[in-house]
Amino acid sequence: MDLSVNLAPHHKVELRLRNPVMTGSGTSSNGVELAKHYDVEQLGALVSKGTTLRPRRGNPTPRTVETPAGMINSIGFQNIGVNALIQQVAPIWEQWTVPAIVNIMGDTLEEYGLLAARLDGIPGVAGLEVNISCPNVEVGGLEFGQDPELAVDVVREVARNTSLPYLVKLTPSVADIRPVAEAVALAGAHALTVSNTIPALAIDVKRRRPALANVFGGLSGPAVKPIALRNVYLAASVVDIPVVASGGIMSGEDALEFIMAGATAVQVGTATFLDPEAPWRIVRELTAWCETEGVARLDDVRGAARRRD
Amino acid sequence: MRSFDAEVVDTDRLYGSTHILWFRPRPLMDRARPGQFAMAYCGEGADPLLGRAMSVHRLREGRDGREFSFLFDVTGRGTEWLSRRRAGDSVRLVGPLGRGFEPRARVQRMLLVGGGIGVAPLVWLADELAAEGREVTLVLGGRGEPQIFPPHLLPPAVEVVVTTEDGSLGERGRVTAPFERLLPWCDQAFACGPDPMFEALYRVARDSGLRKPVQGLLEARMACGVGICYSCAVFPRRGGVKLVCTDGPMFDLRDLY
Ligand SMILES: Cc1cc2nc3c(=O)[nH]c(=O)nc-3n(C[C@H](O)[C@H](O)[C@H](O)COP(=O)(O)O)c2cc1C
Ligand code: FES
Repeated sequence: MDLSVNLAPHHKVELRLRNPVMTGSGTSSNGVELAKHYDVEQLGALVSKGTTLRPRRGNPTPRTVETPAGMINSIGFQNIGVNALIQQVAPIWEQWTVPAIVNIMGDTLEEYGLLAARLDGIPGVAGLEVNISCPNVEVGGLEFGQDPELAVDVVREVARNTSLPYLVKLTPSVADIRPVAEAVALAGAHALTVSNTIPALAIDVKRRRPALANVFGGLSGPAVKPIALRNVYLAASVVDIPVVASGGIMSGEDALEFIMAGATAVQVGTATFLDPEAPWRIVRELTAWCETEGVARLDDVRGAARRRD
Repeated sequence: MRSFDAEVVDTDRLYGSTHILWFRPRPLMDRARPGQFAMAYCGEGADPLLGRAMSVHRLREGRDGREFSFLFDVTGRGTEWLSRRRAGDSVRLVGPLGRGFEPRARVQRMLLVGGGIGVAPLVWLADELAAEGREVTLVLGGRGEPQIFPPHLLPPAVEVVVTTEDGSLGERGRVTAPFERLLPWCDQAFACGPDPMFEALYRVARDSGLRKPVQGLLEARMACGVGICYSCAVFPRRGGVKLVCTDGPMFDLRDLY
C-alpha cells in the first residue's frame, strides 16, 4: 500500500510525505515535545508553530476557552522567533527524515519576504506554510487572505525570496473561498491549506465579560469540520495544486471525508490536545481502512465524493 | 505522556461539595510525584472537548497495587461528569504530567498552605513528608467549614491549622496570617490555591526578609497539558513567558513575582 503524497508536484523541489497526515500549526509546538514520546518518522509531515520575525510573548490569559464540541483560542502568536527557530529547532529537525514545514506569519508584506529569505536553504526546513489569516497592519487590519490581490502580493513576495516548496494557508473568513484559492494558485503557490480557525466569541456570564482576554479568538475542533469540509470541496474545484485540509479532523474517518472531498493531505490540530497521540492514531486508522477496503493508493478515493460534472 | 483508560474503584462526596475519585493502579501513575497532574477527559465523544487538569490527590495501597485519586469541586460540565462516575466506570487520562513539588533533602520543618481545593495535591505531599519523619504543618483555608478538608483524614503527625473567612471553623481570616506566623519556624514552604493567594504569600515571604523558599503549584487555563498549545502562559515579572503545564505547575514564587 502506498499512502505517500507530493505536496509540490509543480515545483522542482518535491515535498514528499510518506503518508497524508500532518500536524497543524500551533497545535504541536515545534514537534520536539511530541518526538520525545512518539516516533515522528511515522507522520507525513510536521508543521511548526506560527513563526514571526521577532520572538513574541503572545496575548494575556485566558487564551483558550472550551465551546460546544470546540474551542476558541487567542494565543497571539507566542513563538521564539525565526532566528531562534533556525538555531535551536532546525538542527533537531535535520536529524529527522520526516519533513518539517515552517508556518510563517508577517505583519507586513515585507516581513513575509524576510521570513522566507531567512528560512531558504536552512538544513532541516523542508518547506513553508504561509499563514495569510492575519491582519495586515498596513491596511487597517483586513486579513491578507480576505483579499485576493493582497493574497497574491504575499505569494509573490514569498516566491521571490525562497526556493522552498510552500503552502498557502487560506482563511475561512470570506464569503466564497474560490476567488482567493484560484488567485493564489495562479500566482504560483505549490499547495493550499484549507483552512484556519473561524473568528468567534465566548462570553463568561458569571464575570460579565468575554471569556478570552483578547475578546475574540479562533474556533477550532469538531465544531468547524463541516465548514472546513465545504471549503476544501470548493477550493479543490478551482485549483489543480494539492489542497491540504485543516479543521476538526479527529479520526481516520474524518480524514477520509476530507480526502473524498478532494484533499491531498490532512492536518491534525485540536485533536492533539485531547490525545497527544492523535496524529499517529489517525495514520493507523487510515492505513487500516485502506487495508480493509482494498485501497492500494489514496488517489483511488481522492475526490470520490465530488459531484462529477 | 500516554493516554490510557483508568478504572474507577471508589467514589465519594468527601466533604461539602468536594468529591474524591479513586482509580485502579496503573504502572504509569506509579512514576508520579506530589504536585504532578493528569489531564482527565470527561464525557463521551467530543463534548466536552478538552481535558481537565487534575492534581494527583493521594495514593493508597489497594488489592492490586497503589491506587491513586483526584479531589475536586464540581465547577462545570467536566467535573460534573466526573462526579457521576461510579466504580467500574473508566476515565481516559493522560499523565503523569508537569513538574511537581521538590522538597529539599536534608530539611526538617515543612509548611504547607492550601487555599480551597488547592489542598488536593498537598495531602499527598503531607503524607510523604510525614512518612519520611519530617515535621509537617498544613494550613487549610476556605470560605467556611464546608470548604475545609477534614483534618481527621490526615496522618496524625501532621499539625493542622484551619482558617475560614466566615469564622465557622478555626481562625477567622485567610491563610496569610498563620503563614506569616509559621514562616520563621519552617525550612521550606509549599502552597496551592488561587492566584491572589500566591501573590499574598509572596509578599509576606518577601517582607519577612527571611528568604524562605516557597514553592507554589499554579493553576492555569490548560487546553493540552503537555506543552503544545501555549494556553497556560504565565508572565514572570522579570520578563519572558513560561508554560504552567511543562515549566510548572510548580514554580518558586520568587521566580514569578
Ligand atoms: C491553540 C491553537 C493555536 C494555533 N496556532 C496557529 C498558528 O500559529 N498558525 C496557524 O497557521 N494556525 C494556527 N492554528 C490553527 C490550526 O493550525 C488549525 O488550522 C485549526 O485549528 C483548525 O484545525 P483543528 O480543528 O484540527 O484544530 C492554531 C489553532 C489552535 C487551536
Ligand atoms: S496547556 Fe497547552 S501548553 Fe500548557
